[in-house]
Amino acid sequence: MKPSAATPYHQAAEPATAEARAAFEKAAFAALAERFGATLDPLDQWGLTAVVDRSRIREVLQFLRDDPSFRMDTLLDSCGVDYLEYPGHDLPRFAVVYILKSMVAVSHRLRLKVWVEEDDAVVPSVHDLYASANWQERETWDQYGIVFEGHPNLKRLLNHADFEGHPLRKDYPAQRRQWLLANDPMIDQLEARLRVLGYEILESPAPTSPSLEETSFGRKK
Amino acid sequence: MKVITPEGDKVELLTVNIGPSHPATHGALRNFVALDGETIVASVPEIGYLHRGFEKMVERGTYQQVLPYTDRLNYCSAILNNIGFCHAAETMFGVEIPERATTLRVLLGELSRVIDHLVCVGAALVDLGALTNYWYFFNPREDIYKIWEKLSGARLTNAFTRVGGLYRDTYPGFEDEVRAVLPVVENAIGEVLKLVEHNRIFLDRTRGVAAISAERAIAYGWTGPCLRATGVDRDLRKDEPYMGYDTYDFQTVVGSTGDTYDRLMVRMFEMLESISICRQALDRLRPGPVNTSDARLSLPGQDKAYHDMEALINHFKLVYEGVRPPAGEYYGATEAGNGELGFLIVSDGTGRPYRVKVRPPCFTQFSAYHEMVEGGLVADSVACLSSLNIVAGELDR
Repeated sequence: MKPSAATPYHQAAEPATAEARAAFEKAAFAALAERFGATLDPLDQWGLTAVVDRSRIREVLQFLRDDPSFRMDTLLDSCGVDYLEYPGHDLPRFAVVYILKSMVAVSHRLRLKVWVEEDDAVVPSVHDLYASANWQERETWDQYGIVFEGHPNLKRLLNHADFEGHPLRKDYPAQRRQWLLANDPMIDQLEARLRVLGYEILESPAPTSPSLEETSFGRKK
Repeated sequence: MKVITPEGDKVELLTVNIGPSHPATHGALRNFVALDGETIVASVPEIGYLHRGFEKMVERGTYQQVLPYTDRLNYCSAILNNIGFCHAAETMFGVEIPERATTLRVLLGELSRVIDHLVCVGAALVDLGALTNYWYFFNPREDIYKIWEKLSGARLTNAFTRVGGLYRDTYPGFEDEVRAVLPVVENAIGEVLKLVEHNRIFLDRTRGVAAISAERAIAYGWTGPCLRATGVDRDLRKDEPYMGYDTYDFQTVVGSTGDTYDRLMVRMFEMLESISICRQALDRLRPGPVNTSDARLSLPGQDKAYHDMEALINHFKLVYEGVRPPAGEYYGATEAGNGELGFLIVSDGTGRPYRVKVRPPCFTQFSAYHEMVEGGLVADSVACLSSLNIVAGELDR
């Protein structure tokens, strides 16, 4: 049942070598620097991280995904980093890191980084370029409070719907506790999904879970 | 709820919560669905019920203290998580671990992969109503857990590797016990295959159910056995060999349609390949040290620490301050039971990681779940979920 050699996803003829990886990184960075003014991230000593401006991140990702010499078809992860307490750091406080890989060419791996200022923590969403970005961006918003502009459903993913603050920020105290009582009925999400699928909603359903007043047992928030 | 379908019919849909507390959700996942009869029209999953703040906890401990936390990511194969984290950290140091440690990691990692797949396939068959296979699989799994218990003192959360090697060497008789357990697992796989391979109910419940195309799976960032089931022949052990995997003789197992049947069968046959790797690793296992001699990583040992002042200071600093990789950022990935398990480590040069981002393979797989179950029956969504092997420990972190 091995896939035929005609598909791009057949077994690689040979594993990724350090030389092939270095050659790819060199070519990718040269193209990104020329077209999008990318710079090197000095923090990455082991691979290649290209720093691009956040206004061009969509173009960069689209270019890397569609260009036949790169084919970065997989967005393995995108996540936030808070550099508030990083020694000697004088760049913007946050960064969003995109970890890319190609399923066509095994030696193609690359990371992108976008600097994000604390008082203007907005990054364009790439959920339409990579389906995996949808949840990854929700998680980054949840943990760091970075807004992804154009995201269809920017809600908390891992933390409770009621949660206040963004816990992975360095100034969020690890010992802080919160009463979390509200249920997320998710009816809005279900209706949004139905609309995407072409349904027209005539009458919303009643919530399937009890309301906050019913479950708080007199506790104050 | 009342809706108008894309075809223009007025229908009444029923909204139902599948989970979070349901035996078939394997952990705690909530899938909120709109049903037309027994067909799922729309689905929105909710996760986070097992979110414990792994990434926040990790920032407070030393690199060695991170290890017990990694056990709790994919708790079905704790050692593969340990290996993933240690391998990433060791690459930052630029150290090579001794040959015996590498070979033991391969051996223990592949045994972990076997028990991971045993749980996944066994539990998936239970969800389809085939309970017998579960017992056929969980007996050999228990035998492996007995080895784990002797080896590390723990059954589930082993924390057996260290940055720079292993917790300790194996016990006398370890190799014989592993050699004895491998045919038991093979026998169990053979028995289960006999039960399900030509079983009409199994085939009807899994073939063509919740299929996903290779292109969609890649767009969702899939890796590992689930991606291979769609016909994409990608395995980090083959493509970007680490720990000497290129010197072992094994095949990747690839499906063709990406349905539930392929996902389960890929895992089933992958176990046989893992067992073959285990045998090769046992053959080349030679006595030797299991920890690097690099003083930046390894404790000096009792005899030195008690008689040599510098060794005592080294021991003290390693325990109190932790191992200190150079400042910088690194993303290291290994092939875990479910696919590419990555660790993005940001180091500020101190003994505590500044930031660790886990890239759990389940996360991207589960984010495609709603697309796969829409249009299918409720019972198919259960079969699909268990074939994806969603482990809430690594999904929610």
